[in-house]
Amino acid sequence: MRSIFAVLFAAALTGCAAKGGLYNWGGYDGMLYGAYKDPTTVAANMQKLEAHIGKLEQGKQKVPPGLYADLGTMQLQAGDREKAQMNFRKERESWPESATLMDALINNGVMPKTKEGKS
Amino acid sequence: MRALVFLSALLLAGCAVQQPKPDLSAFNAAKPRSILVVPAANKSLDVDAPNYLLTTLTVPLAEKGYYVFPVHTAKTVLEQEGFYDGEQVQKQAPESLARLFGADAVLFVTINRWDAQYAVFATTVTVDFDYRLVYKDGTEIWKANKKMQYSPQQQNSGSPLANLIAAAVTAAIERAKPNYLPLAQMANVQVIAVDPTAIPNGPYRPLN
Repeated sequence: MRSIFAVLFAAALTGCAAKGGLYNWGGYDGMLYGAYKDPTTVAANMQKLEAHIGKLEQGKQKVPPGLYADLGTMQLQAGDREKAQMNFRKERESWPESATLMDALINNGVMPKTKEGKS
Repeated sequence: MRALVFLSALLLAGCAVQQPKPDLSAFNAAKPRSILVVPAANKSLDVDAPNYLLTTLTVPLAEKGYYVFPVHTAKTVLEQEGFYDGEQVQKQAPESLARLFGADAVLFVTINRWDAQYAVFATTVTVDFDYRLVYKDGTEIWKANKKMQYSPQQQNSGSPLANLIAAAVTAAIERAKPNYLPLAQMANVQVIAVDPTAIPNGPYRPLN
Protein backbone atom coordinates (compact mmCIF):
# COMPACT_ATOMS: atom_id res chain seq x y z
CA MET A 1 0.00 0.00 0.00
CA ARG A 2 2.84 2.34 0.87
CA SER A 3 4.14 2.27 -2.68
CA ILE A 4 0.70 3.10 -4.04
CA PHE A 5 0.57 6.22 -1.89
CA ALA A 6 4.01 7.17 -3.09
CA VAL A 7 3.01 6.76 -6.71
CA LEU A 8 -0.22 8.65 -6.18
CA PHE A 9 1.58 11.39 -4.42
CA ALA A 10 4.33 11.69 -7.00
CA ALA A 11 1.74 11.65 -9.76
CA ALA A 12 -0.20 14.44 -8.13
CA LEU A 13 2.91 16.56 -7.73
CA THR A 14 4.24 15.91 -11.19
CA GLY A 15 1.11 15.06 -13.18
CA CYS A 16 -0.48 18.46 -13.19
CA ALA A 17 2.27 20.71 -11.95
CA ALA A 18 5.05 19.01 -13.94
CA LYS A 19 7.72 19.66 -11.35
CA GLY A 20 10.19 17.24 -9.85
CA GLY A 21 10.54 16.65 -6.13
CA LEU A 22 13.09 18.64 -4.15
CA TYR A 23 13.77 16.04 -1.48
CA ASN A 24 14.02 12.36 -0.73
CA TRP A 25 11.57 11.95 2.16
CA GLY A 26 12.01 8.23 2.62
CA GLY A 27 8.50 7.83 4.01
CA TYR A 28 8.87 10.39 6.83
CA ASP A 29 5.13 11.14 6.79
CA GLY A 30 4.32 7.45 7.00
CA MET A 31 6.72 7.05 9.95
CA LEU A 32 5.01 9.84 11.89
CA TYR A 33 1.60 8.46 10.97
CA GLY A 34 2.65 5.00 12.14
CA ALA A 35 3.92 6.36 15.45
CA TYR A 36 0.68 8.30 16.05
CA LYS A 37 -1.57 5.44 14.97
CA ASP A 38 0.14 2.79 17.06
CA PRO A 39 2.32 4.15 19.89
CA THR A 40 3.99 0.76 20.31
CA THR A 41 5.74 1.46 16.98
CA VAL A 42 7.36 4.75 18.08
CA ALA A 43 10.79 3.19 18.65
CA ALA A 44 10.71 1.29 15.36
CA ASN A 45 9.66 4.40 13.45
CA MET A 46 12.33 6.46 15.17
CA GLN A 47 14.94 3.94 14.01
CA LYS A 48 13.58 4.06 10.47
CA LEU A 49 13.89 7.85 10.46
CA GLU A 50 17.43 7.67 11.84
CA ALA A 51 18.37 5.13 9.17
CA HIS A 52 16.89 7.24 6.39
CA ILE A 53 18.76 10.35 7.54
CA GLY A 54 21.96 8.29 7.73
CA LYS A 55 21.44 7.16 4.16
CA LEU A 56 20.91 10.74 2.94
CA GLU A 57 24.03 11.92 4.75
CA GLN A 58 26.11 9.12 3.26
CA GLY A 59 24.83 9.95 -0.21
CA LYS A 60 25.48 13.68 0.41
CA GLN A 61 21.79 14.40 -0.20
CA LYS A 62 20.03 17.31 1.47
CA VAL A 63 18.05 16.20 4.51
CA PRO A 64 14.51 17.63 4.09
CA PRO A 65 13.17 20.32 6.46
CA GLY A 66 12.25 19.08 9.92
CA LEU A 67 13.63 15.55 9.77
CA TYR A 68 16.64 16.13 12.04
CA ALA A 69 14.51 18.02 14.55
CA ASP A 70 11.66 15.52 14.67
CA LEU A 71 14.19 12.71 15.11
CA GLY A 72 15.75 14.79 17.90
CA THR A 73 12.38 15.24 19.60
CA MET A 74 11.69 11.50 19.42
CA GLN A 75 15.13 10.86 20.91
CA LEU A 76 14.50 13.39 23.66
CA GLN A 77 11.21 11.67 24.43
CA ALA A 78 13.08 8.36 24.54
CA GLY A 79 15.53 9.88 27.03
CA ASP A 80 18.55 10.26 24.76
CA ARG A 81 19.44 13.93 25.27
CA GLU A 82 22.84 13.75 23.61
CA LYS A 83 21.59 12.46 20.30
CA ALA A 84 18.65 14.85 20.50
CA GLN A 85 20.95 17.86 20.93
CA MET A 86 23.12 16.68 18.05
CA ASN A 87 20.12 16.50 15.76
CA PHE A 88 18.77 19.89 16.87
CA ARG A 89 22.20 21.33 15.96
CA LYS A 90 22.10 19.65 12.57
CA GLU A 91 18.63 21.04 11.88
CA ARG A 92 19.89 24.50 12.76
CA GLU A 93 22.93 24.19 10.50
CA SER A 94 20.90 22.83 7.59
CA TRP A 95 18.00 25.28 7.92
CA PRO A 96 18.72 28.78 9.29
CA GLU A 97 14.94 29.42 9.49
CA SER A 98 14.84 26.96 12.40
CA ALA A 99 17.33 28.93 14.54
CA THR A 100 14.91 30.40 17.11
CA LEU A 101 13.28 27.07 17.91
CA MET A 102 16.48 25.03 17.75
CA ASP A 103 18.36 27.48 20.00
CA ALA A 104 15.59 27.18 22.57
CA LEU A 105 15.74 23.39 22.38
CA ILE A 106 19.54 23.23 22.46
CA ASN A 107 20.14 25.82 25.17
CA ASN A 108 17.42 24.91 27.57
CA GLY A 109 17.02 21.24 26.91
CA VAL A 110 13.44 22.20 27.61
CA MET A 111 10.79 23.68 25.44
CA PRO A 112 10.40 27.46 25.22
CA LYS A 113 7.60 29.32 26.97
CA THR A 114 4.57 30.94 25.35
CA LYS A 115 3.39 32.70 28.45
CA GLU A 116 4.01 36.15 27.08
CA GLY A 117 0.34 35.96 26.12
CA LYS A 118 -1.57 37.44 23.26
CA SER A 119 -0.31 40.57 21.63
CA MET B 1 -6.43 -2.34 -9.96
CA ARG B 2 -8.60 -0.47 -7.53
CA ALA B 3 -5.69 1.73 -6.71
CA LEU B 4 -5.14 2.55 -10.34
CA VAL B 5 -8.75 3.53 -10.78
CA PHE B 6 -8.50 5.62 -7.65
CA LEU B 7 -5.35 7.28 -8.93
CA SER B 8 -6.69 8.21 -12.33
CA ALA B 9 -10.03 9.34 -10.91
CA LEU B 10 -8.32 11.60 -8.44
CA LEU B 11 -5.93 13.02 -11.00
CA LEU B 12 -8.68 13.70 -13.49
CA ALA B 13 -10.87 15.29 -10.86
CA GLY B 14 -7.95 17.27 -9.50
CA CYS B 15 -6.95 18.75 -12.81
CA ALA B 16 -10.48 19.49 -13.92
CA VAL B 17 -11.78 21.21 -10.81
CA GLN B 18 -12.15 24.94 -11.23
CA GLN B 19 -11.98 27.05 -8.13
CA PRO B 20 -11.81 30.80 -7.74
CA LYS B 21 -8.25 32.01 -7.74
CA PRO B 22 -7.39 33.57 -4.40
CA ASP B 23 -5.93 37.03 -4.08
CA LEU B 24 -2.23 36.44 -3.52
CA SER B 25 -1.09 40.06 -3.28
CA ALA B 26 -0.69 39.92 0.51
CA PHE B 27 1.19 36.62 0.16
CA ASN B 28 3.50 38.03 -2.48
CA ALA B 29 4.14 41.14 -0.40
CA ALA B 30 4.93 39.08 2.71
CA LYS B 31 7.23 36.58 0.93
CA PRO B 32 7.37 34.10 3.82
CA ARG B 33 10.33 31.70 3.93
CA SER B 34 9.12 29.46 6.72
CA ILE B 35 5.76 28.00 7.71
CA LEU B 36 4.71 26.68 11.11
CA VAL B 37 1.99 24.03 10.89
CA VAL B 38 0.03 23.82 14.13
CA PRO B 39 -2.37 21.02 15.12
CA ALA B 40 -5.73 21.33 13.36
CA ALA B 41 -9.03 22.27 14.93
CA ASN B 42 -11.33 19.28 14.62
CA LYS B 43 -15.01 19.47 13.73
CA SER B 44 -15.14 15.83 12.69
CA LEU B 45 -16.05 13.01 15.05
CA ASP B 46 -12.73 11.22 14.56
CA VAL B 47 -10.49 12.20 17.47
CA ASP B 48 -7.38 10.91 15.68
CA ALA B 49 -7.92 13.06 12.60
CA PRO B 50 -5.76 16.05 13.71
CA ASN B 51 -2.72 13.86 14.41
CA TYR B 52 -3.06 12.05 11.12
CA LEU B 53 -3.60 15.26 9.17
CA LEU B 54 -0.50 16.78 10.77
CA THR B 55 1.66 14.14 9.06
CA THR B 56 0.40 15.08 5.59
CA LEU B 57 1.18 18.81 5.38
CA THR B 58 4.97 18.97 5.60
CA VAL B 59 5.73 17.31 2.29
CA PRO B 60 3.58 19.43 -0.05
CA LEU B 61 4.61 22.71 1.68
CA ALA B 62 8.31 21.85 1.68
CA GLU B 63 8.13 20.68 -1.93
CA LYS B 64 6.71 24.12 -2.78
CA GLY B 65 9.98 25.53 -1.48
CA TYR B 66 9.27 26.55 2.12
CA TYR B 67 11.04 25.67 5.32
CA VAL B 68 8.40 23.78 7.28
CA PHE B 69 8.87 23.58 11.02
CA PRO B 70 9.13 20.00 12.34
CA VAL B 71 5.49 19.14 13.00
CA HIS B 72 6.11 16.57 15.71
CA THR B 73 8.49 18.92 17.53
CA ALA B 74 6.06 21.85 17.27
CA LYS B 75 3.21 19.70 18.55
CA THR B 76 5.35 18.57 21.48
CA VAL B 77 6.39 22.12 22.33
CA LEU B 78 2.75 23.23 22.29
CA GLU B 79 1.72 20.30 24.48
CA GLN B 80 4.36 21.27 27.02
CA GLU B 81 2.69 24.65 27.08
CA GLY B 82 -0.60 22.98 27.87
CA PHE B 83 -2.12 23.13 24.40
CA TYR B 84 -3.36 19.66 23.70
CA ASP B 85 -5.80 20.37 20.94
CA GLY B 86 -6.04 22.48 17.85
CA GLU B 87 -8.96 24.58 19.14
CA GLN B 88 -6.81 25.87 22.00
CA VAL B 89 -3.83 26.52 19.75
CA GLN B 90 -5.96 28.39 17.25
CA LYS B 91 -7.19 30.76 19.95
CA GLN B 92 -3.63 31.98 20.38
CA ALA B 93 -2.66 35.12 18.51
CA PRO B 94 -0.81 34.07 15.34
CA GLU B 95 1.77 36.76 16.13
CA SER B 96 2.63 35.06 19.45
CA LEU B 97 2.91 31.64 17.87
CA ALA B 98 5.09 32.98 15.06
CA ARG B 99 7.35 34.77 17.55
CA LEU B 100 7.69 31.75 19.82
CA PHE B 101 8.89 29.54 16.98
CA GLY B 102 10.59 32.21 14.87
CA ALA B 103 8.21 31.44 11.99
CA ASP B 104 7.33 33.77 9.12
CA ALA B 105 3.82 32.37 8.79
CA VAL B 106 1.47 30.01 10.63
CA LEU B 107 -0.85 27.54 8.90
CA PHE B 108 -4.16 26.89 10.64
CA VAL B 109 -6.30 24.05 9.38
CA THR B 110 -9.84 23.18 10.41
CA ILE B 111 -11.06 19.66 9.73
CA ASN B 112 -14.71 19.94 8.67
CA ARG B 113 -15.12 16.34 7.62
CA TRP B 114 -13.14 13.14 8.03
CA ASP B 115 -15.65 10.38 7.75
CA ALA B 116 -16.87 7.30 5.94
CA GLN B 117 -20.47 6.84 4.93
CA TYR B 118 -21.47 3.24 4.71
CA ALA B 119 -24.01 2.25 2.10
CA VAL B 120 -25.02 -1.27 1.20
CA PHE B 121 -22.33 -1.99 -1.32
CA ALA B 122 -19.90 0.88 -1.31
CA THR B 123 -18.39 3.24 1.17
CA THR B 124 -17.76 6.90 0.48
CA VAL B 125 -14.82 8.41 2.31
CA THR B 126 -14.79 12.20 2.66
CA VAL B 127 -12.28 14.75 3.90
CA ASP B 128 -12.95 18.49 3.98
CA PHE B 129 -10.47 21.09 5.24
CA ASP B 130 -10.35 24.87 5.67
CA TYR B 131 -6.85 26.33 5.41
CA ARG B 132 -5.70 29.74 6.64
CA LEU B 133 -2.13 31.01 6.42
CA VAL B 134 -1.33 34.02 8.61
CA TYR B 135 1.83 36.12 8.35
CA LYS B 136 3.78 36.89 11.51
CA ASP B 137 2.34 40.42 11.66
CA GLY B 138 -1.18 38.97 11.86
CA THR B 139 -2.15 39.50 8.21
CA GLU B 140 -4.04 36.64 6.59
CA ILE B 141 -2.13 35.87 3.39
CA TRP B 142 -3.91 32.79 2.02
CA LYS B 143 -7.19 31.03 2.55
CA ALA B 144 -8.66 27.95 0.88
CA ASN B 145 -11.05 25.06 1.28
CA LYS B 146 -10.62 21.58 -0.11
CA LYS B 147 -13.05 18.69 -0.07
CA MET B 148 -12.26 15.30 -1.51
CA GLN B 149 -14.35 12.21 -1.73
CA TYR B 150 -13.54 8.72 -2.73
CA SER B 151 -15.98 5.99 -3.47
CA PRO B 152 -14.88 2.82 -5.18
CA GLN B 153 -15.62 2.86 -8.88
CA GLN B 154 -18.28 0.39 -9.90
CA GLN B 155 -16.74 -1.48 -12.76
CA ASN B 156 -19.20 -2.99 -15.12
CA SER B 157 -18.12 -6.48 -16.08
CA GLY B 158 -21.28 -7.06 -18.10
CA SER B 159 -22.44 -9.68 -15.62
CA PRO B 160 -24.85 -8.47 -12.91
CA LEU B 161 -23.71 -11.16 -10.49
CA ALA B 162 -20.02 -10.43 -11.03
CA ASN B 163 -20.71 -6.72 -10.52
CA LEU B 164 -22.48 -7.43 -7.27
CA ILE B 165 -19.67 -9.59 -5.97
CA ALA B 166 -17.03 -7.05 -6.94
CA ALA B 167 -18.92 -4.29 -5.16
CA ALA B 168 -19.37 -6.42 -2.05
CA VAL B 169 -15.66 -7.22 -1.93
CA THR B 170 -14.74 -3.55 -2.25
CA ALA B 171 -17.23 -2.58 0.45
CA ALA B 172 -15.82 -5.20 2.82
CA ILE B 173 -12.32 -3.86 2.38
CA GLU B 174 -13.36 -0.26 2.90
CA ARG B 175 -15.56 -1.11 5.84
CA ALA B 176 -12.83 -2.98 7.64
CA LYS B 177 -10.34 -0.19 7.39
CA PRO B 178 -11.22 3.04 5.66
CA ASN B 179 -7.95 4.71 4.94
CA TYR B 180 -8.16 8.49 5.02
CA LEU B 181 -4.50 9.20 4.62
CA PRO B 182 -4.13 9.08 0.83
CA LEU B 183 -7.22 11.24 0.49
CA ALA B 184 -5.89 13.80 2.98
CA GLN B 185 -2.50 13.80 1.23
CA MET B 186 -4.17 14.33 -2.11
CA ALA B 187 -6.33 17.16 -0.79
CA ASN B 188 -3.27 18.94 0.58
CA VAL B 189 -1.15 18.47 -2.52
CA GLN B 190 -3.91 19.75 -4.75
CA VAL B 191 -4.90 22.77 -2.69
CA ILE B 192 -1.27 23.80 -2.13
CA ALA B 193 0.37 22.94 -5.44
CA VAL B 194 -2.10 22.05 -8.17
CA ASP B 195 -5.47 23.79 -8.00
CA PRO B 196 -5.99 27.49 -8.78
CA THR B 197 -5.66 27.94 -5.00
CA ALA B 198 -1.96 26.96 -5.21
CA ILE B 199 0.44 29.09 -3.21
CA PRO B 200 3.43 30.78 -4.90
CA ASN B 201 6.76 28.96 -4.83
CA GLY B 202 8.96 29.50 -1.82
CA PRO B 203 12.68 30.35 -1.65
CA TYR B 204 13.89 26.77 -2.03
CA ARG B 205 11.99 26.34 -5.30
CA PRO B 206 12.87 29.53 -7.10
CA LEU B 207 11.44 28.87 -10.58
CA ASN B 208 7.78 29.79 -10.76
